[in-house]
Amino acid sequence: MTARMLPGNKIDEFAVRLMRSAEVVAPRRVGEEDVFYGAIASPDEIAWDYGTAVEPLKRFLLPQREPILRFSTNGRIRVGAEYDEQQRVFLGVRCCDVTGVAVLDAMYGGDTVDPYYMSRRERSTFIALTCQQPEPHCFCVCGDAGPFLEGGYDQQWTALPEGMLVEIGSAAGEALVRDNEDLFAEAEVDQVAARYRLAREAEQKFGEFKSYIAGAMRKLSMNEVAPAVWEQAADRCMECGGCTYLCPTCSCFTVTDRMAGQDGVRERHWDACLYSCYAREASGHNPRPEREDRLRARFFHKISHQWAVRNGRQACVGCGRCVLGCMGWAHTPAVSEGIRRGVMT
Amino acid sequence: MNNPYLPKLATIQKVKVETYDTTTFTLRLDDSGERKAFEYRPGQFVELSVFGAGEAPFCISSSAHGRDDFDLSVRKVGRVTGVLHEMGEGGQVGIRGPLGNCFPFEEVKGKHILFVGGGIGLFPLRPQIQDVYRERAQFASVTVLYGARTPEDLVYQDELEQWQQQEGMTCLLTVDTAADGWSGNVGVVGSLLPKVSIDVSNAVAFVCGPPIMIRFVVQDLSGMGFGDDAIITTLERHMRCGIGKCNHCMIGDKWVCKDGPVFSYREMRAMAEFEE
Repeated sequence: MTARMLPGNKIDEFAVRLMRSAEVVAPRRVGEEDVFYGAIASPDEIAWDYGTAVEPLKRFLLPQREPILRFSTNGRIRVGAEYDEQQRVFLGVRCCDVTGVAVLDAMYGGDTVDPYYMSRRERSTFIALTCQQPEPHCFCVCGDAGPFLEGGYDQQWTALPEGMLVEIGSAAGEALVRDNEDLFAEAEVDQVAARYRLAREAEQKFGEFKSYIAGAMRKLSMNEVAPAVWEQAADRCMECGGCTYLCPTCSCFTVTDRMAGQDGVRERHWDACLYSCYAREASGHNPRPEREDRLRARFFHKISHQWAVRNGRQACVGCGRCVLGCMGWAHTPAVSEGIRRGVMT
Repeated sequence: MNNPYLPKLATIQKVKVETYDTTTFTLRLDDSGERKAFEYRPGQFVELSVFGAGEAPFCISSSAHGRDDFDLSVRKVGRVTGVLHEMGEGGQVGIRGPLGNCFPFEEVKGKHILFVGGGIGLFPLRPQIQDVYRERAQFASVTVLYGARTPEDLVYQDELEQWQQQEGMTCLLTVDTAADGWSGNVGVVGSLLPKVSIDVSNAVAFVCGPPIMIRFVVQDLSGMGFGDDAIITTLERHMRCGIGKCNHCMIGDKWVCKDGPVFSYREMRAMAEFEE
């Protein structure tokens, strides 16, 4: 592990320097309690003591609505595209959310690169903040996505009494230290040891929403899920799409053309596989007419071995937002446990 | 950066009405460089932009051989196809692709080739039929079975006539419901299968049609002794991106757009465990 110390009284200065060349996205408190990731205007806005941000990071890489084509039908048709080329540093974001981005990387990269995603991704740097106090809904230990990461970040910070222990995970992460060498100190052996002690302690603090994904993955992947589980989950699911909205890795989209006179824009926007119209064809034929069909498809994509292989890991990171957002108790830990037990409890 | 969402512009060269609700549009890419680079195989599809109405996937329904344009045969059924059907020669559209995989060709040389099409399921089969017939000597036999609901629903009527008369090819037609003037076979397309006498141990069947027809024909073919790898079909799903990103066409662990649309019955059975 390559680690340095960023003393507590240098953190703000480091953030200010980051802001000179990039948009800095950090956790910000909105109202009394809620924390959202957002661009900061000052380091004072950063909420270092938060648990889970209300929304994950996906909208910064895949906006809820975005133009993927502009065209003009005035005379011969002309088409064009534009890309978001803003440099961004994501500062103090949670390990589960950084891992969610790794899943998006697999989905939007691979052998057919999505240029709108990649334009943002290539200009993004992730400074993760380890989680020392998981919230009741959290289960990142089951998602292999926290509370501390062993890799996948540019930098990973752990809050110690004297400042931030900064682990360096990439060349970009290293460059941020090199360019601001005057702010950093050497990390002492006991500071590094404290990081591992804190990680072990944090792992003991998880609540009731253990997801036991391995057991669910085995049954899903081998087609051994009791059909009753899907019927019971379908009884609870209200098809609101809340879980897909909040999930760091749910990233299905649909596409529409909008015209203003002779100028058109083709936009993609978030969609949800739980909606009854999601797979419906123009003819009216619907390959997944029942809600249980759609739930099964969603969880198969989320945690089957087959998709884990294609995406490099399972798509659930255990952030627990579906637990907070689901009105009907058909969130991932509940369904995952149902799959494992053969009945939803 | 290469942008797979950017359509290439194309112009409608020819409009041929096939039936009361289907039309074949012959399209030619506007840019000569793009035209040269546009190489496709039977079974592949494109995303067609009707600017302002939207985009939808259509199989390419003509062989690439000897042509610098290509056909899309389209049923008028939704918004994009509705506007397209109002367009005429000279109209401009967008094309992304070719997308998806293709029918096996070299791999099936030497075999008896059986095509079974239902309704507009003949659209994706047509380029493969044309290519196979063009190299007829390379195949043991060529049979086309085609059925539609009524005689009015039969597409490519000129070509069907030609296929029926052509040497070295058997083409049998049927309709579910006859009308005045129809003297041919009446019944579902599967009812033509008993008239086929080929060595199924050295045969491959290409099947496309509505889901219900595919299901029954595949059962019949299995009963005749066709192995799961010797039954090839092409699937349709609601699609947006065509490149494995939007996930609309996902079946189990496959995208129809990227892993398909051509699948063997063996592959379909593996998918069906998860979805159908």
